[in-house]
Amino acid sequence: MQHVVVDPVTRIEGHLRVELMIDETSGRVADALSSGTAWRGLELIMHGRDPRDAWAYIQRICGVCTTAHALASLRAVEDALSIKIPKNANYIRNIMGASLTVQDHTIHFYHLHGLDWVSPVAALSADPVASARIAASLAETYRVPNPTLEEVYSSAPKDFPAATPDYFRTVQRKLKTIVDSGQLGIFSAQWWEHPDYNLLPPEVHLVAVCHYLEMLDRQRELVTPHVIFGGKNPHPHYVMGGMPCSISLRDGNSPINAARLAEVKKAIDLGRRLAARYYLPDALAMASAYVKAGYLDGGGLAGERVLGFGSFPEEPFLNTKEGGFFNNLLVRTNGVVENFGRGAQIADVHRISAEDLTDGSAFGESVGHAWFRYQGAEELHPWKGQTEPDYTGPKDGTDTDWRALDEQGKYSWVKTPRWKGRLCEVGPLARYIIVYTKARQQILPDMTWAEKLMVDQVDYVSSLLGRRAEEWMPTMVGRMVARAMDAQLNSEIARYFFDRLIANVRTGDTQVANMERWDPSAWPKQARGVGLYEAPRGALSHWVTIDGGKIDNYQCIVPTTWNACPRDDKAGRGAYEAAMMQTRVKNPRQPLEILKVIRSFDPCMACATHLYDLQGEELRIVTTDPYSGSRVEEANGDGCK
Amino acid sequence: MKERETLWEACLNKGVSRRSFLKSCVALTSLMGLSTDFVSRVVEAAETKPLPVVLWLSGQECTGCSESFVRTGAPLPSDVLLNSISLEYSHLLSAGSGDDLETHLEKMMKEHRGKYILAVEGAVATGDNGIYCMSGGRPFMKILREAAAGAAAVIAYGSCAAYGGIQAAKPNPTGSAGISRYISARAVVNVPGCPPVPEVMTGVVMHLAMFGVLPPLDSDNRPKQFFGNRIHDTCYRRPFFDAGMFADRYDDAGAKAGWCLYRLGCRGPVTYSSCGNMRWYQGMSYPIQSGAACIGCTSAKFWDEAPFSERLPKYGPMGDIDMIGTGLAAASVAGVAVHGALSLLQKKKRDEAEAAEAHRIMNGQGGNK
Repeated sequence: MQHVVVDPVTRIEGHLRVELMIDETSGRVADALSSGTAWRGLELIMHGRDPRDAWAYIQRICGVCTTAHALASLRAVEDALSIKIPKNANYIRNIMGASLTVQDHTIHFYHLHGLDWVSPVAALSADPVASARIAASLAETYRVPNPTLEEVYSSAPKDFPAATPDYFRTVQRKLKTIVDSGQLGIFSAQWWEHPDYNLLPPEVHLVAVCHYLEMLDRQRELVTPHVIFGGKNPHPHYVMGGMPCSISLRDGNSPINAARLAEVKKAIDLGRRLAARYYLPDALAMASAYVKAGYLDGGGLAGERVLGFGSFPEEPFLNTKEGGFFNNLLVRTNGVVENFGRGAQIADVHRISAEDLTDGSAFGESVGHAWFRYQGAEELHPWKGQTEPDYTGPKDGTDTDWRALDEQGKYSWVKTPRWKGRLCEVGPLARYIIVYTKARQQILPDMTWAEKLMVDQVDYVSSLLGRRAEEWMPTMVGRMVARAMDAQLNSEIARYFFDRLIANVRTGDTQVANMERWDPSAWPKQARGVGLYEAPRGALSHWVTIDGGKIDNYQCIVPTTWNACPRDDKAGRGAYEAAMMQTRVKNPRQPLEILKVIRSFDPCMACATHLYDLQGEELRIVTTDPYSGSRVEEANGDGCK
Repeated sequence: MKERETLWEACLNKGVSRRSFLKSCVALTSLMGLSTDFVSRVVEAAETKPLPVVLWLSGQECTGCSESFVRTGAPLPSDVLLNSISLEYSHLLSAGSGDDLETHLEKMMKEHRGKYILAVEGAVATGDNGIYCMSGGRPFMKILREAAAGAAAVIAYGSCAAYGGIQAAKPNPTGSAGISRYISARAVVNVPGCPPVPEVMTGVVMHLAMFGVLPPLDSDNRPKQFFGNRIHDTCYRRPFFDAGMFADRYDDAGAKAGWCLYRLGCRGPVTYSSCGNMRWYQGMSYPIQSGAACIGCTSAKFWDEAPFSERLPKYGPMGDIDMIGTGLAAASVAGVAVHGALSLLQKKKRDEAEAAEAHRIMNGQGGNK
């Protein structure tokens, strides 16, 4: 048995360490530990701040999924103060959220996850002529269903260089110079000799490395909507009650006019072409090769339990606490699905209801293995959390020079969130599992175009891979493919809300901010609110209490906290650890398979480890109730449309 | 390890024509805010200076600075990473992980001692011996000190590395701080912003890479070419300020007409940044252009100078400017006069304080006090 440490895990956001016990002869992982190794305490810093500024502070949790936290925060504060944002603001925020997801997934696939699949060294032996042929055929071979496919495909090829042999030869020559120089720069210190790199032919490596470089230069354009509507990216600006970017088609110096909207449209359409013609085909080419080679491991919790909150309110809403958010969703990923691995038809579907948001009995966080201390309790609801850090150091080594962390004791700055005492996976894969299961069990009445697209995408990939959804989805490969499908979905959603925005402005409505409750004199003395949001990495919730015009308590339950959490003595292992446990390692000295499965979650450690509970006593927080096929009517009735 | 290539050699080897190479040099000259007289010096620098090794460390951060760095439109990210610098260590982009990458870091620090550029993103957590930010099983504080000691120059990217940033806002539970007081380095360049403008980030690296010396710095070690003006000095809405035409509420008639956001709390008048002139996405926008008041994210303590909707006089050194903006012509004229006088006074003071420092830096003696 060999003890293997990987620290730092790179090509992620933040600071992550994994430790493994690997049986060298079988390659089995006997134990796996995931540790968030940094902590910033942002929620403590929120105490006493002006609620109107909350989005700006809490957005700084993460600059990779920038804006996800700002949007969740605005929803929480606006819920607390009963502010309904204008239609235009809802459409604009949805465009910004969808654009973020497209960009974030793209940079993850090509630049963070990509080098686990493809190698610039392997690309050197490619035949550029064959690469050109493959590149040309990829987009045609992997034509994933898309409601507006024709428009995407009929666009003039203005976005990227033509995939000619000469183009591939030129890039290959560049790569050769770099490799020959011995100074590999960003390509340094990777295990390029690992056998997994042989799963793809050299020609695919060359195509993918070319796309790596192209997307490095183009990803910035995908978040142009943030720059137009919010002034910058990362960390665009917002305003409580709507958006700061006034629209006027009559003034000479307005933030938003027809020309600015054209910039937004151009960027959205680039995202649609990029996802449909490059990202998805590349992802599916890799997935096909891996599945053909029998790689269906790394599923972990995905087949057991996934959780989502739902996304993209079609119209402005009020009262998340009373279900206003669930009434209104374009993509109903709200709920928990258990046992998807046994089959979509027989998986258990539980709903997250409005009452759950104020009940306070289903969600909690434990700190048995996290560097925090609870007085007199084993689990606490986040709103009753206590604030004591309790750093205990490693099992082997010193406080400031670790050799091995203590899997029996505390070993991470990430807490362990639980749903009804159980652990869940969240993320794009969770969203697809939830919608697909609901659709298959016919508990998703009046499916929206977006939900239909999701089901079509899954069915298409199932037939392409020759596997049932429950076989290929809850795997490392499935996580990667779900993110690619999610990028395409979000690119279309951005366009959908852009069209809604234009149609609404055409009616003469240019309002972007509701300032009726801007002044603290319009606020109740005490208020509490919740903001739900499907971030690129999964279900995100922000919880705020306001007292005397100031933030009293601020809590976040973050996607990477769900996924990267340390184990729980009762509930078992979190998603990262469970996925590592189900992964075979060929060479313990080069555990590429482990890094690949960890990165399939797109870790965002700053999101996970900022958690720091305040002494707030009044906030009620998420709980969940089961719902099933027999309770569809009720689900309909209270808004799970 | 072979001898490192110069930018010109790299271009030769990568099949870039002399003409394209010269064109890049001209573009870079303008990017760095230099006059065209400098083109020949840029060309000379590019021909003779080897590609510099850059090591990029991550402390208490959100990775927004790395993300901003790769949003650069000129130079493009792939050109920076393959043709301009050799980025040998980065938590966001490095292919390698774990021990092998840490070993590579040590090797680079040893082989290029005194020559590499250290880029730092994020604050240093100093509380409890640095245990709030661990990497490779060791405190970031310790790694930072070791890496800074052998660097030719240290670039503190973003307001966290420069001043401590959001985690250092009250009550600063992790004892986070800007890096400069915790390292001994030959030179530190502060590039504040949350995050900084992408082309400002790459512009600083390009300056170091091309000229092999620090860019001229102000008294706070900020590159003058990017932090020499307040946003207010270059803001395209400045004429509305001078004329006393303000938005009083988000989305009111003044906001729709793109008038000055000063009354909404805009920090433009006290914020030194390139937002107003270079803007984001190569001139596309900046928060004020998109209708949002500036929060002053390049300033040292901006997180604790809130609420952001409070008007400036409460915080900034320019209390008198609140006198203007009544909308009455007479008051406006008086206000402009007061405001103008203040601005000139401030600039004179700054220029005097920085003159000696700038001289020293231009002579390649480094800018760290």
